[in-house]
Amino acid sequence: MTKLTRRNLMKAAAATGLAGALSSRMTFAADEPLGITLVIPSPVGDVGWGHALAAGLEPIKAAYGDKVKITILENIAEGPDADRIMTKTVADGNKFLVAGSFGYQNGALQIARRDPSVTVLHASGFQVAPNFSPFAAKYFQGTYLLGMAAAALSKTGKLGSVSAFAIPELITSINAFTLGAQTVNPDIEVSVVWVNSWFDPAKEQEAAKALIAQKCDVIFSNAQDTPSVIAACEEAGVYSFNLNSSMKKYAEKTYLGCVATDWSPFFKASVDAHLAGTFKGANAFLGVAENVVEVVDWNPAVPADTMTKIKEIEAKIADGSFSPFTGPIMKADGSEGVASGVTLADPEIIAMDWHVKGVATPLPK
Amino acid sequence: MNAIEFIIAGMLAAATPFLLAALGELVVERAGVLNLGVEGLMALGAVLAFIVVYQGGGHFLGFVAAGLGSAALSLIFAFVTLGFRANQVAAGLAIGILGQGLSALFGKTYESLTVKALPRLSVPGLSEIPVVGGLFVQDIVVWISLVATFAIWAMFAYSKLGLVIRAVGENPKAAHAIGYSVITVRVLAIAFGGAMAGFAGAYAAVIYTPLWADGMIAGRGWIAIALVVFGTWLTGRIFLGACLFGAVSLMGLAAQATGLDVPSQLLSSLPYLVTIIVLGIISADRRLLKLNGVASLGEPFER
Repeated sequence: MTKLTRRNLMKAAAATGLAGALSSRMTFAADEPLGITLVIPSPVGDVGWGHALAAGLEPIKAAYGDKVKITILENIAEGPDADRIMTKTVADGNKFLVAGSFGYQNGALQIARRDPSVTVLHASGFQVAPNFSPFAAKYFQGTYLLGMAAAALSKTGKLGSVSAFAIPELITSINAFTLGAQTVNPDIEVSVVWVNSWFDPAKEQEAAKALIAQKCDVIFSNAQDTPSVIAACEEAGVYSFNLNSSMKKYAEKTYLGCVATDWSPFFKASVDAHLAGTFKGANAFLGVAENVVEVVDWNPAVPADTMTKIKEIEAKIADGSFSPFTGPIMKADGSEGVASGVTLADPEIIAMDWHVKGVATPLPK
Repeated sequence: MNAIEFIIAGMLAAATPFLLAALGELVVERAGVLNLGVEGLMALGAVLAFIVVYQGGGHFLGFVAAGLGSAALSLIFAFVTLGFRANQVAAGLAIGILGQGLSALFGKTYESLTVKALPRLSVPGLSEIPVVGGLFVQDIVVWISLVATFAIWAMFAYSKLGLVIRAVGENPKAAHAIGYSVITVRVLAIAFGGAMAGFAGAYAAVIYTPLWADGMIAGRGWIAIALVVFGTWLTGRIFLGACLFGAVSLMGLAAQATGLDVPSQLLSSLPYLVTIIVLGIISADRRLLKLNGVASLGEPFER
């Protein structure tokens, strides 16, 4: 993939050059603004993961105005190139770094360790340092609710998911989706197609069509940054939903809803803490209770009684009295996943590497 | 629709972006030029077609814009490699990167927007056949691609034009000596290849996956180049290769959707593995490569 790296290298060089020019000018200003840099692996776009992260920084701009300088570096491939770019942006005086992808972890952590005055927020990792917080969304709280709606709407009893990579974050979402669906229809079956790519719209659309051909009539677009799956489902007339930001405009009729993420409360709090000098690195696993995860744009086709149930569960998730991962839960291989009466703790949820019973596709090892 | 029907019905459409780009590259390579910029040419064609269609220009104009734009970019490649005898590998890579950069630039404000695809046309009667009927329900571009495949095959097999292109590729000095302009033939071949890559990109962005996203070509241009070698520079084999690649990639997805217990990583890499294996088998047969290979491929022409 030389060409991708080269292209990104050129773009990144241009982008960081710009950031460098900006920040070197800033050093001469009397009251130096806080430089905030967001690094993401995909283009920002109107929707998707990158868009959600970029949108999360908007309220900070509104709140602090000239006191912050936000730079977004998009399309940065994970790996040594990203390390170099992040080091460069920090060297240019940007003291607040949001590393928007799992693969940035080691490089970003090194930066945090080298310079304690820098604050790093890192997406979906597991490492923690005094000035380094990993953050992730409890998507599963939302996919559980959408699972209930999906099962109520499905005529075939088969649901599908187009999923990027078999990593715990995505597996957890599928499991919760399945468990939620089973509360409405215990015999529901969920098929998963792993496309093994974060970004390949053509393949994602093919995968959606493959699931539809297998009679799946509600499709969960699990971590796709473009409306590839959503648009294909609208065309085929089957319901679909996705994560991060609403894609309703791409599927007016069959859009089931969106497990939206709003990172701004978390970003805002972190920036406040950084400015006050009180930032403390911690594992930030944020959900409905923290106002980071919320299901929006519900399709009016969801039956009213199901919707009432969904709202009840949603309220219970918000106040902490309910978790989708409360036993008894059986694994897909028939063994016990969660014992009766036991609720999985966050670290166990983050590390989940098994499918619940009801997911028809075996998990890739 | 079961998995088999899904693969049969989707195979041709999945193969079309590869097929169009590979047919173009075939003509370029037959004329003795190696253009490695297909990926970028496809990306440029994709974004141009998308912009035209999104602005309401219609699919036909979208394809025209893609063809013209990518042909124009490939002429820059022709200019440096034929005019200045620059290294074709380096120039091709540079053009590819330029094309991707341009596509990202032009597509910036169109990121993840969608357009309507074209309706599918079915062959009356044939589309009713059980199991394989889906093969006969395709959009117009797929049908045109099939015609184009046949036309290019016929051109190389029967026409004087085909012989001239081959002569220029096999022995440019001899072609020059008997009065053909090697440079003109190669320029036209490169422009044709560029336009075909543009069409391939256009198909990907406004019909097959009717949306624009930077990087959506996702390596398909490289597969197209591989298919030309895979098909040992023969039109029919390139067509078969494209279909095989399309079918194997759909197979991987269909197998997962049916819940088959095969690791998805293996299924995802299957199209590439199959390509590598077939390439290996073909390369093992030196006679076949010598017979069909292009003698002056990649060499600059000097009088």
